[in-house]
Amino acid sequence: MSDHLLSLDEMKQVDDYIASGFKVHSVRENLSGMFVEFKRQEEDVCLQILTAEARKYLAAKLLEQTLKQEETPI
Amino acid sequence: MADLRIDLAGIKSPNPFWLASAPPTNSGYQVQRAFEAGWGGAVWKTLGEPILNVSSRFAAVSFNGQRVAGFNNIELITDRPLEVNLNEILETKKRFPNHAIIASLMVEPQQEKWHEIVKKVEAVGVDGLELNFGCPHGMAERGMGSASGQVPELVEKQTYWVKEVARTPVIVKLTPNITDITMTAEAAVRGGADAVSMINTINSLAGVDLDTWNTVPHVGGKGAHGGYCGPAVKPIALNMVAECARNPLVNVPISGIGGISNWRDAAEFLLMGATGVQVCTAAMHHGFSIVEDMIDGLNNYLDGKGIASVMDLVGQSVPRYSNWGDLDLNYNIVAQINNDVCINCNKCHIACEDTSHQCIDLYTESGRPMLKVREQDCVGCNLCAIVCPVDGAISMVERKSTIPPMTWNERQSLISNFIR
Ligand SMILES: Cc1cc2nc3c(=O)[nH]c(=O)nc-3n(C[C@H](O)[C@H](O)[C@H](O)COP(=O)(O)O)c2cc1C
Ligand code: SF4
Ligand code: SF4
Repeated sequence: MSDHLLSLDEMKQVDDYIASGFKVHSVRENLSGMFVEFKRQEEDVCLQILTAEARKYLAAKLLEQTLKQEETPI
Repeated sequence: MADLRIDLAGIKSPNPFWLASAPPTNSGYQVQRAFEAGWGGAVWKTLGEPILNVSSRFAAVSFNGQRVAGFNNIELITDRPLEVNLNEILETKKRFPNHAIIASLMVEPQQEKWHEIVKKVEAVGVDGLELNFGCPHGMAERGMGSASGQVPELVEKQTYWVKEVARTPVIVKLTPNITDITMTAEAAVRGGADAVSMINTINSLAGVDLDTWNTVPHVGGKGAHGGYCGPAVKPIALNMVAECARNPLVNVPISGIGGISNWRDAAEFLLMGATGVQVCTAAMHHGFSIVEDMIDGLNNYLDGKGIASVMDLVGQSVPRYSNWGDLDLNYNIVAQINNDVCINCNKCHIACEDTSHQCIDLYTESGRPMLKVREQDCVGCNLCAIVCPVDGAISMVERKSTIPPMTWNERQSLISNFIR
């Protein structure tokens, strides 16, 4: 798969998790790329992101999530 | 006609073009001819205890038929007694009272030696002093030039000694043979420098003769490292000027030197924070008359932009020079090929295929060879546009990102909240 197609695929996975109510809980970066832990109540999934484009995209989603949380009244 | 006069730390000159301290400013005869040709100022060939030179002294690097892409020398400072130089400075200043004459100085790092030479050169009416802490060869082996210019404490101390007695502005000329030039620039400012100038030459060996196995240049079969300058060093010099210009602790004017060959180079240095420029290699390659085109070109450029004074150009690009971590990761450009002007040399395809991201496709349309960039795979690296020999055949165009701007630093601070 081309880098571009792979990145589209990874971004779609990120979108799908978020659309189904998951939130990013933790992020870890190492030699193998980025590992994103999504949580939805007791459910927990880990997504490995390989492509640079999708890693940039994930950061944009983190920003969205952070801004939304700041907006949510306690 | 724009106003080309500059004022660099109180040193005034009719235009920003000065000859750098080097062979072109070796004598009164030369400096006077340079002023007649139009140069606004001259930094006299470095004065100090007269030295002995070797023969030969110069070598140049040609690149693909372009002669003097880089220039290498193993020449030292002046080999003429101080009094001879001072008489000629006096005479030149009398003939050209409105041109800037700056005395470049180099002595051993001792307070009384600096005091002595400063007093002597100021007595003949120079407009300023430039302390040569940059010469990388010969003098450095004797503890002078770049040997003291690489040690911030020595730069600070010697500048301070000069300032103890100097009545004219003091420019400290820095060596590029150091990892971070702002360290020595800051030291010069701490010592009281009124301005800094950069760059002196970069340690170099021009080449090795493949027939004789001698170094180039060689002195009877032996070589020693020299100093590199000319067009090849311009990007290095420009970065050093810019790094100093954006450093709040280097809050003095900058005289830009290094590879300046025409008005465009000069304008770039001014935009990046230099108040004036100094030229050596281009004058050695083409003669003093190049300054006419420099003056005309700069003047036309300023007129075209509606800028009244060259001083208004100084530093305009400095706020645009930042750290890598503050660049937007989500800014996107892609290459676009105009097949109407393309000559189908395929250099772009080869470059992208072999050394970038394999995204320039070859195809034929009505029997005609064509090229197209697959935008989704293009990383906007510029390589194809750089290697393309035809102006306008490849343009780099912006593609608005679907995600908001974010720098590396912003990203890292955001992600740090998610490290558990
Ligand atoms: C042959 C030669 C001799 C030089 N001598 C001196 C010198 O005596 N003092 C000094 O400060 N710089 C000296 N320089 C360095 C120049 O002043 C200047 O900093 C350097 O050449 C970079 O400018 P350019 O690229 O325009 O040549 C010399 C350079 C050359 C090529
Ligand atoms: S900009 Fe770089 S990646 Fe894009 S087509 Fe040109 S060489 Fe290839
Ligand atoms: S390098 Fe330029 S001229 Fe050559 S094929 Fe590519 S676009 Fe055409």
